[in-house]
Amino acid sequence: MRHVGGARRGLDMWLLQRASAIYMAAFLAVFLVLFLAAGPMDFMAWRGLFVPTAMKVGSLLFVAALLAHAWIGLREIFIDYVHFLVLRLGLYLAFGTLYLGCLVWTVDILWSVK
Amino acid sequence: MTSRINRQRPFFLNLMAIRLPIGGIVSILHRASGAGLSLAVPVLLFLFSRSVRSPYYYDRVTGIFSHGLGWLIGLGLLWALLHHFLAGLRHLGFDFGLGESTEKARQTAWLAFGLAIALVSLVALASLMGGGA
Repeated sequence: MRHVGGARRGLDMWLLQRASAIYMAAFLAVFLVLFLAAGPMDFMAWRGLFVPTAMKVGSLLFVAALLAHAWIGLREIFIDYVHFLVLRLGLYLAFGTLYLGCLVWTVDILWSVK
Repeated sequence: MTSRINRQRPFFLNLMAIRLPIGGIVSILHRASGAGLSLAVPVLLFLFSRSVRSPYYYDRVTGIFSHGLGWLIGLGLLWALLHHFLAGLRHLGFDFGLGESTEKARQTAWLAFGLAIALVSLVALASLMGGGA
């Protein structure tokens, strides 16, 4: 069966999986420092973390990286275990739609923190 | 392509009899933890949206993870995140040609496996001492 998409697709995915992993690791390290520096955690301190625009943008990029990473990872799993092509493409689309929805939702969540 | 693959290749999948080396165990757990985390993302996003809404919802969300089944699920997710993170760092190392010898690869596999469990145990212990669960 011919693959759907170009021959370079696998390499693009491989690269994006690494790039998103590196961004997430870096963001989590910064976030952990800010989280610990915020002192004893309560609602105001937790919410306060997400007030600066830089934090909103950084968090949104983190979620975008996370969703891309999760989708590519699930794609690997589907390629290994779901051999019925229509079902596999259906799963790609279902998770792609779910995750795109999550990304838009994240914008709403983050920018509602004022 | 397809015709060159040996269709008569040996097929052995007795899960009770397979003895996976540590690298194989860390690898399958990397996949399993990744799958679990991927499915948890929408739920975690929902909980996050609640947690920044009001003090009431913040307490509700932190309350879910403070005792009983929620406490266990929280620790499970934390383990999945730590294992996936550490096993992922190991893979990034391989990409840059670090620790590729059999001996080093086994050592880092044990390290990722053990460190994830040790850190989760620490968090579990700390939450128990702090009056959680």
